[in-house]
Amino acid sequence: MSSLKLTAVHKSYGSVEVIKGVDLEIKSKEFVVFVGPSGCGKSTLLRMIAGLETISAGDLEIGGTRMNDVDPSKRGIAMVFQSYALYPHMTVRDNMGFALRFAGVAKDQIAIQVQQAARILALEPLLDRLPKELSGGQRQRVAIGRAIVRNPQVFLFDEPLSNLDAELRVHMRIEIARKATMIYVTHDQVEAMTLADTIVVLRDGIIEQVGRPLDLYDDPANQFVAGFIGSPKMNFLAATIVEKTTSSVTLELTNHGRARLALPVSGGAVGEAVTLGVRAEHFGEPGAGEVDIALDIDVAEHLGSTSYVYANRGGEALTIEREESRNEIGMQTITVSIDPVRAYLFDARGQRIR
Amino acid sequence: MSVTPATMAQAARRTDARAAIRAPADPFAMVRRGLVYLLLSIAAFVSVFPFLWMVIGTTNSSADIIRGKASLGGEFFNNAVTFFTQVDALRVFWNSAFIAVVATALTLLISSLAGYGFEMFRSRVRERVFALLLLLLSIPFAALMVPLFVMFSQARLVNTYTAVILPTVASIFIIFYFRQATKAFPTELRDAAKIDGLKEWQIFLFVYMPVMRSTYAAATIIVFMANWNNYLWPLIVLQTAENKTITLIVSALTSAYTPDYGMILFGTVLATLPTLIIFFLLQRRFVEGMLGAVK
Repeated sequence: MSSLKLTAVHKSYGSVEVIKGVDLEIKSKEFVVFVGPSGCGKSTLLRMIAGLETISAGDLEIGGTRMNDVDPSKRGIAMVFQSYALYPHMTVRDNMGFALRFAGVAKDQIAIQVQQAARILALEPLLDRLPKELSGGQRQRVAIGRAIVRNPQVFLFDEPLSNLDAELRVHMRIEIARKATMIYVTHDQVEAMTLADTIVVLRDGIIEQVGRPLDLYDDPANQFVAGFIGSPKMNFLAATIVEKTTSSVTLELTNHGRARLALPVSGGAVGEAVTLGVRAEHFGEPGAGEVDIALDIDVAEHLGSTSYVYANRGGEALTIEREESRNEIGMQTITVSIDPVRAYLFDARGQRIR
Repeated sequence: MSVTPATMAQAARRTDARAAIRAPADPFAMVRRGLVYLLLSIAAFVSVFPFLWMVIGTTNSSADIIRGKASLGGEFFNNAVTFFTQVDALRVFWNSAFIAVVATALTLLISSLAGYGFEMFRSRVRERVFALLLLLLSIPFAALMVPLFVMFSQARLVNTYTAVILPTVASIFIIFYFRQATKAFPTELRDAAKIDGLKEWQIFLFVYMPVMRSTYAAATIIVFMANWNNYLWPLIVLQTAENKTITLIVSALTSAYTPDYGMILFGTVLATLPTLIIFFLLQRRFVEGMLGAVK
């Protein structure tokens, strides 16, 4: 059993609270990614799970056992650090076998386990080298190897795979995820979307949303998650609710000549200032949606298969994604349509209106 | 890529930079460089001359030295024989070496532990205690030596190696030096070691000490030299001839009615040799350590 449970977990440094009550359950062999902007507390939460930071309040359970006060080495975890944290005075072999040496494992058993991990990570020819003699990618593999050798229940990763080449990254993901639960911290939402079974979006020490990658993309709980998940970022347009029925609201877009569109949501109140969210790829051709808006083009990036048009109107910057498009070259303005079915509505506090 | 005035200007700047590397545009650059070399040569000569004079002095008689003779003479063996006749060199060197080696080892251990502790452990009073320690640096040894002597006298430690070693082992300067160097020690290494199951003392012993070896090397040179050359405190607490160190003995030789300068300079050269050897052995690491390199 390698499930993990956090119950009302808090962390404070003096009067500064950095983790403000986190409840989370991670199933055995699940790949969970903590994602959020810098300073959101994702690394602190990971370090608390590892035992490198004390837990100010709340409970941490690993495999059903309370681990709050258990020594890091006895929690059944292994951690891979962002800077690799390889012991610079030891060879790759010694780095990988160091934990086992202190756990009292026999020398020949250490050699076997190190050799196995080295084979998985293609590190066999490098075992007698020092970390300074390795490339960045090789160092990362050693750091991962050091974690694998300990055969932990839970792997903790602090943004370590970002520089690994794509093939090895997929190989690693399959190899490790088969055996253990993984918690991975990153600020890169693309990496989170690629790797995770479950994404945990954090902001200012609280969990904003937990869910499968596409659930977060398709059905964000609030404006923060909507803006954070997805690349390019979701566009936000200022609007006001001007009419309301039991099953829809009609909005007036503040910066677009009071253009109106009706959204199939039941919340909100007439006169309420709201934000309309539209993903870059969900803007349609003129006339294809319910309402058309004209924008002034700032710059257009043509990547071949896709083009990104950066435009604005009334100080509101928007990004529009167009497939196979060359049309924006030399254009000053662009007209796009908004499809209400593919738009999201948020209240003034950033919460989703459904 | 389109050629714009901006890209042309950039290209021109790069060409200028390459030309500047090939041939200095400034005609006074050579003169300036020459002046720098001249000044550095003078500084090097001023630093090296006393040593040179000391070594040449070992080959001259006392009378020649007083006359100011600065060329090699033929009195080296006479001076050596006189020195070894008057001084129990083996005993004196043993005293100096024992005190310097033990004091250096203890100072490095205690001061690096303190520096590690100050940097690694968070506490509200940490900075205040550290500031207080630094403040203690401003108290001159002369103000401490009488109370120190009284303490050691009451502890019946006067005229022992312990009396010479003990006051030096918690060096505030070395604690400060280690704390500063520890700032460059990656804290993730300590975290990794904790997860690998090491206790704090094991992290210090098996991770911190090997990683910080350049810092230890630089500190070894500084502390060893300070202990080997220590004069005032040993002069006070070491009272019998069989316990005295080389610095005390060489100094005592100068107090003779007619000092034999050739023999004294021979003793001085001998006294200088261990520090020179230590320095040259650890020179590369010393430079790394002073630069604060953690590799």
